[in-house]
Amino acid sequence: MDPNWNDNQPIYRQLRDKVVAMILEGVLKDGDALPSVRSVAAEYQLNPLTVMKGYQALVDEELVEKRRGLGMFVREGAARKLTRDEREKFLAEEWPKIVQTIQRLGLDPEELLRTVHKGDEK
Amino acid sequence: MSTLVKARGLTKRYKDTLALDNVDFQIDEGRIVGLIGPNGAGKTTALKAILGLTDFEGELEVLGMNPKRNRAEIMKEVCFIADVAVLPRWLRVKDAIEFVSRVHPRFNEEKCREFLKKTTVREKARVGQLSKGMIVQLHLALVMAIDARLLVLDEPTLGLDILYRKEFYSSLLSDYFDETRTILVTTHQVEEIEKILTHLMFIRQGRIILDADMESVAEQYTEVLVTPDKADGARALGPLHERDVFGKKLFLFEGVSRERLREFGELHTPSVADLFVAKMKGVAA
Repeated sequence: MDPNWNDNQPIYRQLRDKVVAMILEGVLKDGDALPSVRSVAAEYQLNPLTVMKGYQALVDEELVEKRRGLGMFVREGAARKLTRDEREKFLAEEWPKIVQTIQRLGLDPEELLRTVHKGDEK
Repeated sequence: MSTLVKARGLTKRYKDTLALDNVDFQIDEGRIVGLIGPNGAGKTTALKAILGLTDFEGELEVLGMNPKRNRAEIMKEVCFIADVAVLPRWLRVKDAIEFVSRVHPRFNEEKCREFLKKTTVREKARVGQLSKGMIVQLHLALVMAIDARLLVLDEPTLGLDILYRKEFYSSLLSDYFDETRTILVTTHQVEEIEKILTHLMFIRQGRIILDADMESVAEQYTEVLVTPDKADGARALGPLHERDVFGKKLFLFEGVSRERLREFGELHTPSVADLFVAKMKGVAA
């Protein structure tokens, strides 16, 4: 698997984002074990300290917990917490820009909403 | 954390050339250190001195001992894979295992066999029948089964195909390395090890010109992609190196803060390979 690291952000941060994406997509569910530091290090050819740092960031955000001798696990409610954070982020950062675009282009919000609901019916 | 290797004023002369010129460095436990330099920069000489294979001037301590005087003692806890195959062609794999098990007090025969089982190397085969990649795997199996504190790798993946190269470092990371082990590696394949390293050392004409942990390298060095109209402004800040990329200039700065550079364009962390090129400028013949 090609991890496609970019050089704008530290690797540990990108690793953290990867795990977050996996939780949001439901690939990793509440209570699931994260792959061991060793196996991630070997698979992605990373220094184990980098992997540990990425995992630690997830622990600090209370998304993952360390169980002594067993490894790292996704905490109960991690996906919910992330979805909530993502929603807040969307409403605070992206939505205002979208509203601006809608106004600039003179789109009809009602009309747009109908296309959203149409998507529901499919 | 203990210090495994400590060099102060380490110097090595070959007749009229200085292979190592008054070099200071230190390697602590739990590190993976990349020693990178062009051919003839003194990498192998430095490794040889650490392994007690050559005389030197200055101070050098390995595991608190003098590598020249206490070589036998040191080699109980230091392992080495050289860039040249040293196993005799007539030797059978199982005899190699038996040999090491008899001469090395910290060798775990069981562990070595376990590791070889995961490869295509069969114990009945003779070294002469193995491919280059398989010989490296055998070497790695023998070395990883030794409970050593310092592992020295000199161009370990030279001449191997990409599959064997990746496999080599995967094995090291999954089956060998932990916080009590230390690895010192030299290689020209910088790309494949740069994310594994905790520390980086550049050696040039017998001198260490960079010695830092990877995090400070990322803090210390920044690449900025600058449009031509801003190039002069960026150049005034004294970049280490500049090159053309798609009609823009890519400047590499040392020790200039990212806040200061941001106005000139997109910021990147340089790859070790690019940093190496910038630092070696003027050396290439």
